Amino acid sequence: MVEAFAVASGKGGTGKTTSTLALGMALAEDYDVTVIDADTGMANLLFHAGLDDADVTLHDLLVDERDAAVSDAVYERFGMSVVPCGTSLAAFEAADPGRLRDVVAELAADTDVLLLDSPAALGSKSAVLPVVLADRIVVVLQPTVPSLSDGLKVQEYAHSYGTDTAGVVFNRVQPDENVDRIAEQAGRYFGGQTLASVPESDAVRAARREGKPLLAHAPDDPAADAFREAAARLDVRDGDGRDVAERFKSAVVPERI
Amino acid sequence: MRIPRGELRRSRVVDDAAAVLRAVLDEELTGYVVFEPQDALLLGETTRGVVTFEDGIPVLAYDTEREVGGRDGLEGFAVTGPTRAAVHAVDAAALADAHEVEAFRIPPGEPARVLAGDERLAEQTVDAAPAARREEGRDQSAVEAFLDDTDAIEEIRSEAREEARARASEWGLDDVLADDAGDSAAIEPGTDSR
Repeated sequence: MVEAFAVASGKGGTGKTTSTLALGMALAEDYDVTVIDADTGMANLLFHAGLDDADVTLHDLLVDERDAAVSDAVYERFGMSVVPCGTSLAAFEAADPGRLRDVVAELAADTDVLLLDSPAALGSKSAVLPVVLADRIVVVLQPTVPSLSDGLKVQEYAHSYGTDTAGVVFNRVQPDENVDRIAEQAGRYFGGQTLASVPESDAVRAARREGKPLLAHAPDDPAADAFREAAARLDVRDGDGRDVAERFKSAVVPERI
Repeated sequence: MRIPRGELRRSRVVDDAAAVLRAVLDEELTGYVVFEPQDALLLGETTRGVVTFEDGIPVLAYDTEREVGGRDGLEGFAVTGPTRAAVHAVDAAALADAHEVEAFRIPPGEPARVLAGDERLAEQTVDAAPAARREEGRDQSAVEAFLDDTDAIEEIRSEAREEARARASEWGLDDVLADDAGDSAAIEPGTDSR
């Protein structure tokens, strides 16, 4: 295990799930990557990764009485290990998010990079947990006032739990926008570096319809290039796998979230 | 700034200003919507703003509390979270005078962009706008002005820090708070036992 990143935005619609899978696929060139849909209340990743019909999901691992092994919910797709979350509200309600820590600890032992697709909210314990468990966050922003404002909030939450910022991805950037100036200004407030400016692209919607990550659906699209650039800039840190797994195990997570 | 009183069509709390803007675009409303972010209300502040529309296309924005119009006015009530939206219809002729106040006018896509962060809706709105208005393009000055306002940004950050600590306590996550997080001496630091 090297490092766990929470991909966060605080606001919906910034393309967080697209970004998580794109960064995952790009990082998978050099690392063993595991992507977890930690947005347990609004599962989304399974649709992006062609796992709509997955039998066992993260929800099954979070429910006490179900006897599912962690490995049952891991699917090898597009060069990554993908752990989708189910869409059933009943399963979500029965799930004990406190068990997420144990699941993450077990997955962390066998992978280099963990990416946690985090909820676009800060209003509940389960929404904040991915940011608490991660080593660092990657903030996905659009160059708009509400998005920047929410990104700042997520970052403050993360820092409160000792989780640093690895960098910022400006996503869904319009052709007439010059993000350089905004990135320079935003750099004064956001930690890490500007990882990339990803142009708005029709290929993103088409990829989602096809149930494939952007880098699998349209590897030559300019947006895919930008995500690869972001992944290359991400300085994945070496860590001791045992320490990380131990940390997850010792993280104080309450029984009910 | 005088907007003639309109006929109230509906008033409800919505999760996202985008839903209201989309509905108003679809029904081609001529009138105005009063936005009242609910988060601010909880903090004991009043934040309220008005956006006027002509055939569903935004024309003016005005922050009624700060008495600021145009794009700056719009930003005053661009608060995330639930907002109360009261939709009023007004006769187009009655709005004509108000709509001549050049300083309060906004590009058609701006409310979708600033209030809801919804770029797609902003584009749809611009596409639906009359040709003359479509040229009022998106410029970045609002975002740049926001990022230049270091005091306002620091306020957002320190509020978020306080909120994070208060909620950590509420959720029993005190123990995983970092020692050095936040710079408020009034808050007792937790121990980093992650």
